[in-house]
Amino acid sequence: MLPVERLHLDHVVQTVCVLESVVLRSFGPEGGQVLFTRDTGQAMLSRSGTRILTALRLEHPLARMVVECVLKHSTVTGDGSKTFILLLATLLRMIHKMACKDPNVSHAYTSRQTAEASTARHLADKIHAFALEELDDLIILGVIPYGCCLSWENFTTKTTLPGPSNNHCVQKLLTTFFHSRLGHSHCDFMSKLTCELLTHWKFKSDLPPLSLQFVNDNLDALHTPVSGFPISCSRLIEGQVIHRDFATPCPQSERKPVKAAVFTGYLQPKLLNAGQVLQLGCEEQWMEENSRKNRSIVHFSAWTETSLKCVFANMQSLGVSVILSAVKQSAAVLALAAQAEMCVVECVSEDELSLFAQLSGASPVSDSWMIEPEHVATLTFCRPILLGAHRYVHVAFQNSEDRVTVEPCSLVICGLGEGQTEQYTCAFRDAIRMLLSTWEPVGMTATRASKRTLLSNKSTSSHMDNQIPNTPPFQQCGVQPGCVIPAGGTFEFLLQHALLQYGTSCSASVDTAMSGLAVSQILANALLIVPRQIYSHCPRRFLQAQTRFLTFIQNHSHPFSLVYKQEHSSVFGESACPLEEDKLTKHCYTEADMSTKLFMLDSGLESVSCKYQLLLAVLQCLSSILHVDTVLHTHTALHSKSRRLTNTSREDTEDETED
Amino acid sequence: MSRLAKKSPSLCTDLPLDNADICNKLNFLRQLLKSCFGPTGRLKQVHNNIEGHVVTTSTSSVLLPAISSSQPFINLIKTSILNHVSRFSDCGLFAAILCLSLIEQAQQSGLRGNVAIRVNKHLLGLCTTYLQGEDCGCKVKLDFCSSQNLITLARSVISSKPTCVLTEPETLYISKLAVRAFLLTVPCNSPGIVSLGKVVTMSVEGHGVLNSAVFPGLLLDMPDVFTIDKVKNLPSDALRMVLFSASLAGDLSELGVGIIEVPSGVDTDSQILDQLLELGKQVVKDEVKLFVCQKVIHPVLQQYLRSHGIIVIERVGITLMEPLTQLTGAQPVATLHTTIPAKAYGVVRDLNIRTFGSKKMLHLHPPGESAICTMILCHRNETMLSELKVVCQKTEHVLRLTLREPSALLGGGCTETHLAAYIRHKSMTEITETVPALGCSQTEYLLGVEGFCRSLEAVATVLEHDGGNSLMDLTHAHHWTHPADVMTEHMGDGLGSCGCGLVESNPNQKWTYLNTKGPQFSPAPLSRNATLQPRVLDSFTAKLNAMQVAVETANLALDVRYLIQDMN
Repeated sequence: MLPVERLHLDHVVQTVCVLESVVLRSFGPEGGQVLFTRDTGQAMLSRSGTRILTALRLEHPLARMVVECVLKHSTVTGDGSKTFILLLATLLRMIHKMACKDPNVSHAYTSRQTAEASTARHLADKIHAFALEELDDLIILGVIPYGCCLSWENFTTKTTLPGPSNNHCVQKLLTTFFHSRLGHSHCDFMSKLTCELLTHWKFKSDLPPLSLQFVNDNLDALHTPVSGFPISCSRLIEGQVIHRDFATPCPQSERKPVKAAVFTGYLQPKLLNAGQVLQLGCEEQWMEENSRKNRSIVHFSAWTETSLKCVFANMQSLGVSVILSAVKQSAAVLALAAQAEMCVVECVSEDELSLFAQLSGASPVSDSWMIEPEHVATLTFCRPILLGAHRYVHVAFQNSEDRVTVEPCSLVICGLGEGQTEQYTCAFRDAIRMLLSTWEPVGMTATRASKRTLLSNKSTSSHMDNQIPNTPPFQQCGVQPGCVIPAGGTFEFLLQHALLQYGTSCSASVDTAMSGLAVSQILANALLIVPRQIYSHCPRRFLQAQTRFLTFIQNHSHPFSLVYKQEHSSVFGESACPLEEDKLTKHCYTEADMSTKLFMLDSGLESVSCKYQLLLAVLQCLSSILHVDTVLHTHTALHSKSRRLTNTSREDTEDETED
Repeated sequence: MSRLAKKSPSLCTDLPLDNADICNKLNFLRQLLKSCFGPTGRLKQVHNNIEGHVVTTSTSSVLLPAISSSQPFINLIKTSILNHVSRFSDCGLFAAILCLSLIEQAQQSGLRGNVAIRVNKHLLGLCTTYLQGEDCGCKVKLDFCSSQNLITLARSVISSKPTCVLTEPETLYISKLAVRAFLLTVPCNSPGIVSLGKVVTMSVEGHGVLNSAVFPGLLLDMPDVFTIDKVKNLPSDALRMVLFSASLAGDLSELGVGIIEVPSGVDTDSQILDQLLELGKQVVKDEVKLFVCQKVIHPVLQQYLRSHGIIVIERVGITLMEPLTQLTGAQPVATLHTTIPAKAYGVVRDLNIRTFGSKKMLHLHPPGESAICTMILCHRNETMLSELKVVCQKTEHVLRLTLREPSALLGGGCTETHLAAYIRHKSMTEITETVPALGCSQTEYLLGVEGFCRSLEAVATVLEHDGGNSLMDLTHAHHWTHPADVMTEHMGDGLGSCGCGLVESNPNQKWTYLNTKGPQFSPAPLSRNATLQPRVLDSFTAKLNAMQVAVETANLALDVRYLIQDMN
């Protein structure tokens, strides 16, 4: 028999609560870092939930399953891993409490524990189903009206203009994100840097995701980590940094422009490959593949040198003075290049070469005999750059027609040590991912896709045309991508309110009365844990915030009325204009009291779409872990020899086999 | 056979800075580093458990890598400091001590982690703005017309490393050499982008320090003594030389990885050697006098060249290739089958032999102005020599940093006390604006300021290792030490001048002991007294970065709430 472990609800709750206790230390604006040492002995700091959870090296299969769910979620959205665990633990505790109070009364269950488990499973499924069915509508009606939409156009024009750019939505959104990832002291700096980078990489007449996607895809080639400097030394530099040094003495002359060619293979022909045979003869000499006449081996090697000289002559006629190579070239290549006053950069990584090819518009040379003008890239400069301990090659591109607005630039990320630069890079990458998923419209889940295709199509087109004002307001605010909401628990307060309202409306109808009410109430109460933890250092502030929100909601709106929607759409129209001052308080009534306005202004921003995806992911994870009832500990034999051993004594092989 | 070990679960510690064991370890590290600081710092001997080589040092760049700890906190601080040192070569101990003091002070003040971090960051901002400002009272502009301040700067770096065991005149001698070598690497007459040259350092053991020297040009090791006569007979005008970067040993490595079948009776070796001798013939015909190869030269070729009166040097190594090309203007040759193009040849103005004890070296003089120079360092034994070599390289780096920012900070602890006094004063005058912006209470802010200033002063205090007292005057806020064994009626009598030497004691001056609650005042700028020159100067760029690194590292450490140690 295999060792079998029955999973009880208590175990599940306990396991997730342990994870929660680890993550809580770094949750929210007052949270701190987690220091961990890797198996290499290297010390690493992180506030990223994903990082912390993976560093734990968990053994319990259930915990590992949860961590996997978190990973899956955070690789998509780049955010929300700590909130994930927090919500999951809270939901589990609530379900556990409810299940213990009234387990399913049925004779089919053998024990009380199985009955509890089944009630819990049932509840979790219902919550999940409810969320899939109703959550997007609730968010669209109950939350989005209080948020505002980021406008990509607006973002880029505003940062280039001098003036109060700190009011800026995207920057605020990023600041909030970096606050939760790097702490208060660096968040402003990093968000400003990110905005600057995105402004440089803005493709004209393209949707925002394209440019974000580009940065996300090429981030490895676009950033240079430099350790030994404070983070405030991080900066953008023009053009691209190739993370290799010149193999030949670097160019002294400031010739402009510089012409460069990219090679993927060896310049000096290596005719003798593995497996091929070169026969040297005394009288009748012939070489196997080329059947070329040769007197001795010296002539053979002389031939490769002559062919190399031809390649160089060809390059000189094209004016090439920089050679970028994916492989290490021979000493003869370097010497000939030095004589021809060319400089060589060897062993350039594939990512960097492909980015170089994209930016310069020149294609790499694969056969060194065939160098055509289209292989030659024109650069404004190519010079050494010293970043930290390393000397790299710094190139800048001439503007070509197809990318008039893009100013290629690279990011230099400084940190005290390797661990820190890695942490900053990670945060940066996740910030880009977070922005990407912010632009994903709410309500575009699989189940709803068919229902909304028509609307979303309309909406995207309207977005591209810079928001036609007479688009029906509901659709516009409903599926508008890039919706953000003030941070600090606003989303949770609003959604809780909406859920409770929904619950009361459900209880009026008879058929779904009980379940609908219970489900929405569980979800609503679980949501409150997030603001409660945010203000955990000062519980009074949580109550203050909650009361403020409730009075605000009661005083100010009936977001479900038609009048509201129309006014609302007009506000959105205005928000596209850069002169609009307080985009953060996007509620319908202009006579809003100052206190609310101020409250909303001093907090940051969060993405509604990320929050929505997070909730769905948590609920899915919840129902899937409650579906597990037994863990089977199987044993995998590593190789045949040890299997024979394990066959004889299964009990002894609880530990992994050693060879 | 595959080997699969089970990953063991990680070890977790909640709120590690409250953990007594970790605090003790940090405290121990602080005591250890404190005792090494400054010119009178105590030396440390590092030796491993397998009775290996014993290293004597007080330099952070040697000491810190030797400290291996399982405690991730120690490693975090260690890597930060080492990264700083590898970039700036100076102020490593300063950064480490400041960082550890900041952590300790924040712990003692009982401030919430986030508040301490914000206050520290704000005060760091005040410091950097002040130091970079025009009216900074502890900064000296470096004047490249006179080497006085450069020598002082070099001497401060060299004298802060007591492991070199240098006497006062020796320190001055080495400082002057370092400045001379640095100045030789700055090219004078090249317009446009200036690229600095290189100092090649060579060490000779068993000679007095005063035998050390700096030569423009390059010195290469002479493997055989027979060429000495040839060198003497050479005409002393432009000599043609050739530089090979490919191996001339007769191997053909660039052919590929396939199999070569050689029928019996064919001697490929001699065919290749014939080719090499062809090359030799051309070199002789072109009247080359010096033949240098990065790799190995075939003995037959060597013999051939020598018999034609050519000086042959092989195996110079990759590091000397770039200086050689810069010095002679030669382009390295790697093609063996084609004639050497005329422009690939380089020129040496003159060659002569220099002798250092048993070592004979060939001195290559540059044909024109060149930024390459060679520094020969001599010292009595190996330990001191290796430390001296490290110190000279650091000094060169520190001097190079002055090209980017031609300033230096007052040494001897005066910058630290001055800054502390400035921060105390400045933070009090701006308290009403700062407190709401930082989101903390006034009391918390004042506690934070006190901790920060005490940490700065603590660095000045640890310069004194012989039980003396550290004082600060109440006008310029410079640092003074009061020897423990001197008992005087008035405090001012036994003091002489301050740490950096710019302020002399006078009867009207008032002092306060460091780390006591003194009066808060605005430090007065120095009246420029032409006769007084600073005795100790610190690198501006290095110290500024060290301060930023120290505060940022301390902030990171204070922000740690949880510890996960992978036990695999």
